Amino acid sequence: MSEQSTGLLGWIDARFPLSKMMREHLSEYYAPKNFNFWYFFGSLALLVLVIQILTGIFLTMHYKPDAALAFASVEHIMRDVNWGWLIRYMHSTGASFFFIVVYLHMFRGLMYGSFKNPRELIWLFGMLIYVALMAEAFMGYLLPWGNMSYWGAQVIINLFNTIPFVGEAISEWIRGDFVISDATLNRFFALHVIAVPLALLGLIVGHILALHEVGSNNPDGVEIKKTKGADGIPLDGIPFHPYYTVKDILGSVVFLAIFAFVIFFMPEMNGYFLEHANFDPANALNTPDHIAPIWYFTPFYTVLRAIPDPFLGFMMMAMAIVVLFLLPWIDRNPIKSIRYRSSLFKINLIIFVITFVILGYLGLKPVTDMASQLALRFTEIYFLFFFVLWAYSKPRSGGFWIGSFFVLLAGITLYDKFMNSSETPELIWYTWVIPAAYLFIALLLPQFTNWDAEKQVPERVTS
Amino acid sequence: MKIVNKVLFLLVLSMLAMNAAWSASEHAYEKNQFGKVNIELHNKASLQRGAKYFVNYCLSCHPAQHSRYKRVADDLGIREELMVDNLIFTGQKYGELMTVAMKREDAQEWFLGVDPPDLSTHVRAIGPQAVYEFLKTFYVDGHRPFGVNNLYLPNTAMPHVLEGLQGLNRAEFHVEADKDGIDHKEFDKFEMAKEGSLSEEEYEQVVTDIVNFLAYLSEPAQLIRKSIGVKVLFFLALLGILAFFLKRNYWQDIH
Repeated sequence: MSEQSTGLLGWIDARFPLSKMMREHLSEYYAPKNFNFWYFFGSLALLVLVIQILTGIFLTMHYKPDAALAFASVEHIMRDVNWGWLIRYMHSTGASFFFIVVYLHMFRGLMYGSFKNPRELIWLFGMLIYVALMAEAFMGYLLPWGNMSYWGAQVIINLFNTIPFVGEAISEWIRGDFVISDATLNRFFALHVIAVPLALLGLIVGHILALHEVGSNNPDGVEIKKTKGADGIPLDGIPFHPYYTVKDILGSVVFLAIFAFVIFFMPEMNGYFLEHANFDPANALNTPDHIAPIWYFTPFYTVLRAIPDPFLGFMMMAMAIVVLFLLPWIDRNPIKSIRYRSSLFKINLIIFVITFVILGYLGLKPVTDMASQLALRFTEIYFLFFFVLWAYSKPRSGGFWIGSFFVLLAGITLYDKFMNSSETPELIWYTWVIPAAYLFIALLLPQFTNWDAEKQVPERVTS
Repeated sequence: MKIVNKVLFLLVLSMLAMNAAWSASEHAYEKNQFGKVNIELHNKASLQRGAKYFVNYCLSCHPAQHSRYKRVADDLGIREELMVDNLIFTGQKYGELMTVAMKREDAQEWFLGVDPPDLSTHVRAIGPQAVYEFLKTFYVDGHRPFGVNNLYLPNTAMPHVLEGLQGLNRAEFHVEADKDGIDHKEFDKFEMAKEGSLSEEEYEQVVTDIVNFLAYLSEPAQLIRKSIGVKVLFFLALLGILAFFLKRNYWQDIH
């Protein structure tokens, strides 16, 4: 195993742990043999990161971070720079694909309990990467200096205004001016091309080192290190290289085909990846008809809009992200994988995915009476999901289920009574049914059915 | 987790359906009442005619400041001498950007404080169909400074520069109350008040050519983008086959 390397490699190995690192992280890193479809998205996220960095480097060669020149320099890239349109579309499409891949990667973690002991720190690194990625995307979105760049940034930065006492000072400090201006553009450029990417790279290294320290989870949620052969190698483990490198090559090619299809045939993605209003230059006197953040922010934007009080709304939006950090301490059920958890857990998770998508959808649409009631209801479910997840951590008494059902329902009803208002008051009571039904399914069904039955987790991985 | 995949798929489908239902027209006339423009980027003759109309009728006020004459000539197959002699009126050089000589302050004064938008990017923001409807729905209105109004863009600051070609329409409206009891002007029909030099079909062709050219101008890469995309996908398909067999070969001993 540790045969002495010779020649150039030997010379390097005597001075730098090259072969050692290759072994530790690739050829002798044992990954479970039963990874399924959902396990492609980690390596795909790395692929998108590389695409973004490479295309980003070429874009900075032609882009001008100057309020008077930025918009024209992007058009210059699109028209006059050789292959500039391709590099730009790769970067703009890459941003959206980064979030698609990361959302699927996070969903995988939720499904198979990959955030649970001993992988809490991997999850925390991952959440920091997610937050850094949101900052990166938000600042990158200002750079084309289109009208939606301008007004989108206006809306988001003004969120900080809602913080009592210091809010105005904070948003002024972020902008570097009283309004969004050249100063804002220039600093967002600096943060987008160097500060946040550096942080991202560091966090990703941390994420992967933490992963390789404890080993990968798998669709069965079984710890493969518990059953090792005589040679000390996990019986259900296979070396990452060559097995998962060749598998990930196949995954990458399929991914790239989808990616290329969007780039070459629908780079605007019907206004979802490149918003139409952004083809007009930034104009402080002309607000776009409808300002919507780019799609990957809209679930949180809906949470913000669901609460009429601005500061409370801002806090709830922040909480919607903070609560994800706490996941390892919320879901304490020892069973990791969805395969062996109760039917109710599966239903709960499916409802959460539907809720997240509906929240995202509502964030793209203008506010109507109906939409804001729905936004509130699905925001309620978003947060209740985490309570239910915590409740499913261990067997609980009938009193607990009935008690928490009535307490939570009373809380929602009291909010409606005193804080919720609508032009058509009946709407409040019609939509009240949504969280009530959710609570009924999640908290009372365990009383009447055996849907809370969990399955025996096998000793070894199953496939 | 087959069930999860199915639910996700159905969710995406229903979102798309809802989205289609949500978007509705906000104009006083019916959607597509004036037809849908047919963009034909491979139709070089149409693009060339569009370029001719564009520099003659639009470019005196509307810049296309991100586009270069040379690029247009190259893409549309127009020879350099032809372009320089017949399509550059500003004394600019062949390789220069298609800007206008008009001063910004003058434009603001002449057009009620509105800057004529740059047509190399604005068309991408509003879409070609918008320009098509705009150019087809001018009508006589004595209350407007240039004597014309527009159905697509009510109270537009732009004069009907194609009046000599199309002629002038008179518009008939009726007043209709909506469900909240607020009166709206609803468009009935156009009637020709002054004949132009072209027939209706000929004018239709002119508008189509202009819109076609503007659609090209908003993203010149469109001319090659899709054909390169086909080659890239073909390459990836071949690579995918190799990758599939490579994976299968390596994994045959894993059970």
